[in-house]
Amino acid sequence: MDTLNNFINGTIALFGDPLGILIFLGGVIGGMLFGAIPGVSMLTLAAILLPFTAHLSPEHGIMLFSVIYCTGVYGGAITAILFNIPGAPENAPTAFDGYPMTQKGQAGKAVGAAVTCSAIGGTVSAVIMMIATAPIAGWAISAFGPPEIFALVFFGLAVASSVGAKTFWKGWLSILLGLLIAVVGLDPVGGIERWDFGMPYLLAGIHFIPTILGFFAVSEVFVQVEKKARGAYSAPKVGVDFPSLAELFAQKIAVIRSIFIGFFCGILPGIGATLAAFMGYNEAVRWSKDSKEFGTGKMEGVVSSETANNAATGAAMIPLLALGLPGGALTAMMVAVFQMHDMEPGPLVFLNSADLVWVVFSAMFFANLSILLIGFLETKTIINLLRIPFQFLAPVILLLATVGAYAVRGLPIDIVVMFIAGIVGFFLRRSGYSVAGIVLGLILGKIGEQTFAQAMQMLHFEWSGFLSRPIAITLIIAGVLTLLNSIYSAFFKKSA
Amino acid sequence: MKFTRYIASGLLACSMMLVSNASLAACATDSLPDSLAGPDGFPERALTMIVPYGPAGGSGQVAQAMAQAVTELTGVNINRDHKPGGSGTVGMTAYMALPTDGYSVLEHIDDASSAHALDSSKPNPASDLIPLVISQITFSQIFIRTNEDRYTDWNSFVEWVKAQDGKATIANVSKEGSMERVTMKAISDATGISMQQISFDKGAPRYGALAGGQVDALFEQPGDVRKFLDAGTFKPILTILPEAPSAFPDVPSLSDAGLDFQPLYRFRGFYVHKDAPADRVEWLQWAFQKAYCEQSYQDYNKSKFMHLIESYRDTEGARELITATINQYRDVYKEMGLDVK
Repeated sequence: MDTLNNFINGTIALFGDPLGILIFLGGVIGGMLFGAIPGVSMLTLAAILLPFTAHLSPEHGIMLFSVIYCTGVYGGAITAILFNIPGAPENAPTAFDGYPMTQKGQAGKAVGAAVTCSAIGGTVSAVIMMIATAPIAGWAISAFGPPEIFALVFFGLAVASSVGAKTFWKGWLSILLGLLIAVVGLDPVGGIERWDFGMPYLLAGIHFIPTILGFFAVSEVFVQVEKKARGAYSAPKVGVDFPSLAELFAQKIAVIRSIFIGFFCGILPGIGATLAAFMGYNEAVRWSKDSKEFGTGKMEGVVSSETANNAATGAAMIPLLALGLPGGALTAMMVAVFQMHDMEPGPLVFLNSADLVWVVFSAMFFANLSILLIGFLETKTIINLLRIPFQFLAPVILLLATVGAYAVRGLPIDIVVMFIAGIVGFFLRRSGYSVAGIVLGLILGKIGEQTFAQAMQMLHFEWSGFLSRPIAITLIIAGVLTLLNSIYSAFFKKSA
Repeated sequence: MKFTRYIASGLLACSMMLVSNASLAACATDSLPDSLAGPDGFPERALTMIVPYGPAGGSGQVAQAMAQAVTELTGVNINRDHKPGGSGTVGMTAYMALPTDGYSVLEHIDDASSAHALDSSKPNPASDLIPLVISQITFSQIFIRTNEDRYTDWNSFVEWVKAQDGKATIANVSKEGSMERVTMKAISDATGISMQQISFDKGAPRYGALAGGQVDALFEQPGDVRKFLDAGTFKPILTILPEAPSAFPDVPSLSDAGLDFQPLYRFRGFYVHKDAPADRVEWLQWAFQKAYCEQSYQDYNKSKFMHLIESYRDTEGARELITATINQYRDVYKEMGLDVK
């Protein structure tokens, strides 16, 4: 009953005056738009708005950022589906099947599925966040230390080894290439300089956003240009049909599974929506009877990725609010907004700022619902972007990708990295290697290397130490079994 | 020569003063003029501040607070450009490549001094740059969980750590040559304890590791974990200062604990390129030093425990601090057997 009362009070604080409603709508639309523009993500919008929130009331300032966070994660799915350009890393797996659906004239169904499942994943996550923030946060940081997170990364890589590649070996070579790229820069423990070739800018490492933009957006433009040159280009069919209720209902298992995965990844500080989306997608592939159809335009692929990344949004607020531990760049920026308005996330937040906490909860709940409403309208309009002739669209895509790559850190080398990734991606895609595997190796490699080093320090450099950590050893065994199963399938099933 | 003697030889200790309550009434730059016209209308447009770290950490926050204070004072906007990576190297390199017209300033921390101490080809913040102001100087503490029952204070902690035979763990930023690693070596030498240092480069996982019981202790500056102190989740058991500051009277200081070394400090400041026009530098010095005493900046510093030791250094004071710090690190690195270039 208290929860309901608090929720109602939070809702009144949100929508009690016209300015609040305007800011809410502005946050919803702004988050969707900035999330949809590749590279220029919701982080860019948040950074622009940060100084202005000081002039808003605490309720409005905190609500604005909560809304942007939810809708921004969804917004990146649109360009992933329509143009093979993920608006953010957490939308990358959405492109695996979303873009092939567009090519098959099913853009409406793909966007519709993304809208619906983003809303479901985010809303369920927000409800769990309202009910159980404090106990879940405490459990997560006690149960998951560096050994467990490393084990989770290992399991994720083992599961993902087959995504997007034509053969087992090409899948693993793709992931290993990603892991190799991840070690460029300072080593995360000793600060040792690696693979910098005397260039100080490489000490910051290869960032995954320019890499994603290169592998997905730039290489896609090259692919289409080549088709155009060969006279094999055909404009994508524009399908605005929303998925039917029966089609959506058929995704129920994938949705439930991805909610669990997304929520679980979201509550671990520093992991968040990107790993959630990849794991959601990978698990869908692993459990499917038609796993070969993934990557060719299967709705379940879009559903799994988008449900998981949005389910991670509410979950990420749990360690942020209850422990003061932000899981990513935007949640870290939210801490600054909270502090600007005298709300200090951490163990005392429910005591000192309960009213503002419920503003966050209510804002995220309604933001997720509004994804459904506004997303439905968007589906009927934004798909018409596909009608723009390729010769006009391609330069815009390249321009946006260039701006996006530079905007991440303001480093010109990121633009170079993006174009190199574009050229490499163009050739790798023709030869059956997986650009998704490279990206996953890059993202998880950075987390995995750091947590592995920390785990070994904690376990006094004794491998047997993993045996004393039940969750870690369970995940490692599961990863090894997955790997063995992949090898068995790759060799023996084929020869049989 | 014993390691701790090198640390004790630093000038730094002489320049660090605990701030009494009486001295808080006046601010360091009250004597500067309330306004100063820039040369030939400088600055005619917004300034750019390069910040070599992300927006949410200590550097990002102090950059935001100082930019706001300068804008309140002068009406001049400051755009912050965050270039994180390479432990501050990327931001420094990017800054050194910018035009030296005085429109770009740099925020940096003591890592720039320790980087130059280890490799003299890297910019010396005292001579390749002109320090406008150092606005934060702070100390470190060792923290444990408040509900910890294996040890409750510094003495019982030392006893417990000794019994673990090197298996006790402490979370910090233990990169080679970092202030944290150097200080931990000094503590280990002085007490005879051996701890496994677990390196977390970001604050949130570092604090989560202690809160979740993944590590036994945490090395950190008190301002960065204030919310955990206010909530009673963490408690300090050792203050790495010669004497206990007013906010932590019951926490043993180095002298209380019988540890004979002088501490290294974390400091953050703002710089301009040495080739910037002198008259513009003069205006920037006035703006950043005067902004230090703006109420919003003082409030921010206080919220981060930056008022417990004198945080302010003008250009000359900053140069002395940086030079002393570089010499101190260089001696320590040689003692540690690092390759000092």
